[in-house]
Amino acid sequence: MRTNKIIVAAAILALGLLAVPLYFTSTFILHMFTLVFFYIALTAAWNIPAFGGKFSLGHAAFFGLGAYAASILYVKYGISPLIGIFAGTVCAMLGGVILSFPLIRLKGPFFTLASIAFAEVLRMVAIDWRSMTNGSVGLNIPFKPGWLNLTFTSGMPFYYIALGLAVLVILLAWWIRSSALGYHLRAAAADEDAAKALGINTAKSHFFALMWSSGLTGMIAVFYVFYNYVLEPGTAFSMDLFSLQPAMNGIIGGMGTVWGPVIGAIIMTPLGEFLRFYLGTIQQGLNFVVYGLMLIAVVNFVPGGIVSLMAPWFKKKKSGESSARDN
Amino acid sequence: MDDLLVVRNLTKNFGGLAAVSEVSFEVRRGEILGLIGPNGAGKTTLFNLISGLLASNQGSIKLEGEDLTKMPPYRRSAMGVGRTFQVVRPFDMTVLENVMVPIFAHYKSAKEAKGKAYEILEMVRLENMADSMPSSLTLAQRKRIEVARALATKPKLLLLDEVLAGLNPSEVAENLPLIRQVRDSGVTILFIEHLMDAMMAISERVLVMDQGALIACGTPDEVTSDQCVITAYLGEEAPEC
Ligand SMILES: Nc1ncnc2c1ncn2[C@@H]1O[C@H](COP(=O)(O)OP(=O)(O)OP(=O)(O)O)[C@@H](O)[C@H]1O
Ligand SMILES: [Mg+2]
Repeated sequence: MRTNKIIVAAAILALGLLAVPLYFTSTFILHMFTLVFFYIALTAAWNIPAFGGKFSLGHAAFFGLGAYAASILYVKYGISPLIGIFAGTVCAMLGGVILSFPLIRLKGPFFTLASIAFAEVLRMVAIDWRSMTNGSVGLNIPFKPGWLNLTFTSGMPFYYIALGLAVLVILLAWWIRSSALGYHLRAAAADEDAAKALGINTAKSHFFALMWSSGLTGMIAVFYVFYNYVLEPGTAFSMDLFSLQPAMNGIIGGMGTVWGPVIGAIIMTPLGEFLRFYLGTIQQGLNFVVYGLMLIAVVNFVPGGIVSLMAPWFKKKKSGESSARDN
Repeated sequence: MDDLLVVRNLTKNFGGLAAVSEVSFEVRRGEILGLIGPNGAGKTTLFNLISGLLASNQGSIKLEGEDLTKMPPYRRSAMGVGRTFQVVRPFDMTVLENVMVPIFAHYKSAKEAKGKAYEILEMVRLENMADSMPSSLTLAQRKRIEVARALATKPKLLLLDEVLAGLNPSEVAENLPLIRQVRDSGVTILFIEHLMDAMMAISERVLVMDQGALIACGTPDEVTSDQCVITAYLGEEAPEC
């Protein structure tokens, strides 16, 4: 009975989301939705290592790697971004391989610090490697509409692309969390020593989590850049936009859960945009003050994130499932 | 008799402190071997060395002739070394899921893992708690989750670190037979316990550690009448051990 209700609700939601571009012709609203979807995808990807308790503040590194790989291929060599999607994914994963050394060796905040440093170093490289990246001027994606160029005359295709990405990454995150890897990560997050003693190669689990996370982030970045047309080191490797924002979304929504990133991104993306544009004009960095206060509030009053406030609803669903198994 | 585990000259220093020093002993296949000693004697450290969570400074550990000394913990687990922890810290997931975690090493599908985990929960009589969160269980039950999780790795040798500590007498009476039952299912047991009565009741042989060294080994009766052991427990300087 209950599962039927959920399916019906999901179907209505899906139809509603699919119909949004048909009813809201305002580019602003469409843009907001698209941005929320992008951030749901980015946050859900960021959240995969967090299943294992690993807290990254360096995901801008993977974003930048994916974005630059596809853009350089397109702008400098005329290679279609459809191929760039794979190149971006692979480049970001290579970045993940590098970050996996501190990931496996360093505990808690030390890994987080290493991840920040990693993204910052790559930002410097992007600024200095002028022959490839045009330095701090950045690269412009030429406006040549067509699917092969991932360039469109309206915002509608990207609305659906971003929606698709969000759904894809949520499904992948859900699948990972309920697979062996997910259980191993959750065990390592709770007690790394106990997990090891129970036969889990925790280093391998953390590594695979980072591979998924970095690859997906790089892939999302390719679409994001072609949505925005411009790319420069300060944006592509932006600590604010692509390291802090997904992490904030994750914490506020509920780190290490499947739905936390979704809730976090829905609440924080419009808020983040608002704060950056309106408070940012008053005083740069004022948005961080608000973030800081929100973080303190959430960590103190709802440490499990907003999703934990909805736990009773999820629990009901769970007991429904288990009684189904008993039958 | 057939030795399952052979430990030779095992040593672990923490700075200037020799937490385990030159310890040598064997665990015979199928036995229940007790390990006792005053607080800080190095018992848990010895378990950490055998399970691989700590690297030894010196010495060797062999299971069925295979050298474990340099293996990472997950490989030792695969070889058949299982353990529980003195401080129980169940994973933040249901009781059933806690037991599923190690089973995933053998069965990749969640469905199979669930079935196997359920069987193990029945063995430790937690099947009614399968869908509960560990935080809602009593200490005695949480200690049984530890045992269930360790059993789920299909150990040949099970290291139990104070699975009875902190339990009231009726809980001890409830959990104690479990140890023997596990042994009877074919698992060799090395267990640390402070509760002397319980220890004497179920172990065939007992090792005694004090200040990192192994000071005695024998049947419960032999060990309790050993002069070195008595002085170690009374806290006096041992004359000649
Ligand atoms: N990781 C560590 N770093 C430094 N010293 C340690 C560490 N682990 C244990 N020790 C020290 O080694 C000694 C042996 O500790 P261990 O935990 O092995 O004792 P134990 O016999 O298990 O005691 P108890 O009966 O209280 O559990 C103690 O002095 C302890 O303080
Ligand atoms: Mg101890």
